[in-house]
Amino acid sequence: MTANLVNILLGGIFHAAILFLVAAGLQVVFGVQRIFNLACGSFYALGAYVGVTAVRAFTGAGGSPALFIVPLVFGGLLVGLVGVVVERGLLSFVYDSDEAFQLLLTFALVLMLEDVIRLTWGTAPYSTAGLYLVYGQVTLLGAQVPVYNLIVIGASLGIAVGIGWLLTRTAFGRIIRATADNREMAEALGVDMRWVYAKVFTLGTALGTLGGALVIPTTAAMSEMGIELIVEAFAVVVIGGLGSMRGAFVGALVVGVFRAVAIAVYPALEMLLIYLIVIAVLVLRPRGLFGGAAV
Amino acid sequence: MILRAEGVRMFYGDFCALDGVSVRVDTGEFVSIIGPNGAGKSTLINVLTGALKPSGGTVRFKERDISGIGPVRLARLGMARSFQLVQVFPDLTVVETLQAAVVSRLGRGTRVFAWLGRDSEVREGALEVAELFGLADKAHTPAKHLPQGDKKLLDVASAFALYPEIILLDEPTSGVSTRDKHAVMEILVSASKRLGIKSIIQVEHDMDIVFGYSDRIVALHQGKVLADGPPEEIRANDDVVNTVVGRKAGAFERGA
Amino acid sequence: MSRLVLGVVTGVILVLPLLAPAYHVLLMLPFMAYAVIVLGLNLLFGYTGLVSFGHALFIGIGAYTGAVLTTHLGVRSLELMLLASAALGALIAAPVAALCVRYVKIYFGMLTLAFGMVFYTFLLKFYRLTGGDEGMQVLRPTLLGQDLGGIPKTDYLVGPYYYYSLAVLVLAGLVMWRIVHSPFGLCLRTIRDNPTKAEALGISIVRYRWSAFVISAVYAAVGGALLGPPTGNVDPTLAYWTHSGNIVFMTLLGGFANFFGPVLGAFVFIFLQDTVMAVVPYWRLIFGAILALVVIFAPTGLMGLVARRRPAEVARA
Repeated sequence: MTANLVNILLGGIFHAAILFLVAAGLQVVFGVQRIFNLACGSFYALGAYVGVTAVRAFTGAGGSPALFIVPLVFGGLLVGLVGVVVERGLLSFVYDSDEAFQLLLTFALVLMLEDVIRLTWGTAPYSTAGLYLVYGQVTLLGAQVPVYNLIVIGASLGIAVGIGWLLTRTAFGRIIRATADNREMAEALGVDMRWVYAKVFTLGTALGTLGGALVIPTTAAMSEMGIELIVEAFAVVVIGGLGSMRGAFVGALVVGVFRAVAIAVYPALEMLLIYLIVIAVLVLRPRGLFGGAAV
Repeated sequence: MILRAEGVRMFYGDFCALDGVSVRVDTGEFVSIIGPNGAGKSTLINVLTGALKPSGGTVRFKERDISGIGPVRLARLGMARSFQLVQVFPDLTVVETLQAAVVSRLGRGTRVFAWLGRDSEVREGALEVAELFGLADKAHTPAKHLPQGDKKLLDVASAFALYPEIILLDEPTSGVSTRDKHAVMEILVSASKRLGIKSIIQVEHDMDIVFGYSDRIVALHQGKVLADGPPEEIRANDDVVNTVVGRKAGAFERGA
Repeated sequence: MSRLVLGVVTGVILVLPLLAPAYHVLLMLPFMAYAVIVLGLNLLFGYTGLVSFGHALFIGIGAYTGAVLTTHLGVRSLELMLLASAALGALIAAPVAALCVRYVKIYFGMLTLAFGMVFYTFLLKFYRLTGGDEGMQVLRPTLLGQDLGGIPKTDYLVGPYYYYSLAVLVLAGLVMWRIVHSPFGLCLRTIRDNPTKAEALGISIVRYRWSAFVISAVYAAVGGALLGPPTGNVDPTLAYWTHSGNIVFMTLLGGFANFFGPVLGAFVFIFLQDTVMAVVPYWRLIFGAILALVVIFAPTGLMGLVARRRPAEVARA
């Protein structure tokens, strides 16, 4: 019984850790650029595929399986650089457009990236075949927990702390927060908005791709994983409050854990429960649990 | 008495924006509210138009409590307003804008399948107001292509097209060139007579306009009514002249 | 001029089944269904200024209403299917709209998306009723009481069903034409342009947005009901959020600022998708690129491009 509960909870928290990364990327971009990036799920999928490819290339070249996490993280972060291309090549044209157009442009990106993935990696599921078990399992309150999952949870926590540090303790963080509060003011103070936007969007993208890379050892990459995850990431930010980092953290935990519990108790409920929470939050607290806070 | 606010207080947190303000507007009166920036004029307008619910005191329009009732019900009751920052419908033409106001006044917005173009009452109502405001020759120009002064006129004209009993004009001549200010005011006054608008209440910075057209002037300062009286009395009030009107008093005396 | 174009287009559509190969005539069926859907969607998008990312919900309602009626309840009349879809669409839209229209912009989009996904998940998970991801069959409906079960499927679709769909589209178009030219339609446009000013004129933005939402949902449900019979099958992807995105795409592609723009958008979308997929399976890549180009360089869509060239000839919608 306890073992079961621990399994469910840790499964939920693991999922939450990944969701947090993607949602954090969504939040930082929305907070600064006021663009709700529907393509953050696609970046997640892209990170997953690149992650598998990097790991396979690494082990194929004789790399030690125990070190697979190195190419995984490296690949996941590196592909985040598509963020620069997307921001400069597409989004920079629509900063003055209506929100609807910005949203549709990111939807265009969703469509394109889905096929880019199919073109590059095919439609068959793509995985690292249980490589994550190389770190073994530990027994927690009677439950068998893969060490890799704990590593990811720890890494996600570390990134959360890192983002907090970046936003509150560094010069770049102050610029980000100033821009989020008042773009004109920041511009008037001599901040080069193009540069800030490019960096912020790349940061957001890299968080998503890293999330995708980290999840992949435990599952298989599929071309639809992006458009499926975006709805969950969306649920996270709505529950937490758009633009709020703390919101992303709490929202990810709510979605991850509730989903895990729902699957265990009554599988048909799964995402239905999440959407109902989303609607309840939007209706009762439209700005989310932590809304109003800038970034 | 058509509009009456009594002992209105308004707090934003600890900050007291209005501290026991009482204002009344009688039928047939033209009342101006003046005051330096931060005197509470904007807050008072929002309270008088039911946009804000005051923290204390009452606002009554035709003996009905209108505190916080919102713009839609206020318009139905017979009170209209124009805006300091000009508000138009960018993609609607002049005549469409005025038609929208007439449709609203006649309560015909729920006619989902009626053919607007064949509604002669709406069309004529809109054209009448367009002519009163000298906008008839631009009837089919989208608002976004109008010069700034005409946008301002259209904003006011669409409020007039509601045939309100009282109209609140928030800086009707701001953004209008000095040369045209009196022309705009003449249009407003004559249009209100033609359309049967009983009372006008305006917030205005231009003292020429204020002293030239008002029956009564209410001077606000630091959230309180500093003075309330006919133009001659206000002009003779040193407090008001010092804090609100300013020392360059010669200009308005000539204008008045 | 625009009347002439409209007349010619209608004429071509009328004689198309006699001239064109069955394949292209069959493609006209989803086009006409989507044309109904986007006519409704544009009342919300182009005329009221709200972008819904959840209208696939109502497409799903319509499509599944037809499926449930024909397979479970033994109702085969297309008239009843359309009426039931419209009624159910309105019934479900009423509370959904009441919640959604209190928000605008991104929050409106997100809330509609969430409602759409609730229905999608419902379709997926409650498979005893809905068939899960396999979807449901839609049996061949009777048209105006005529049981046409005896003729081959293609003949049924390119003949009676084609003209039936066309009649529904024309009727839907005429009704929508009245709506946008009514006092109600004018009030919607004031809300799109400037909600603050609209309220100051006594126009209750929440009530009008609600009405526009419900009407657009009815259109989506009717269009959704028309989508089922040609394929004989409906599945949950009809209600998926990317499907909502696609119909917004169609609307934008054709041009939301013009009454006929969305219909043109639906046409181009369906036929271009078919053309592209005949060559490569990666239509999303190409369509994504097209959408990006439209958003960046031609936000008023194809109709906007035409109008820019000949401003005098395009009637204001």
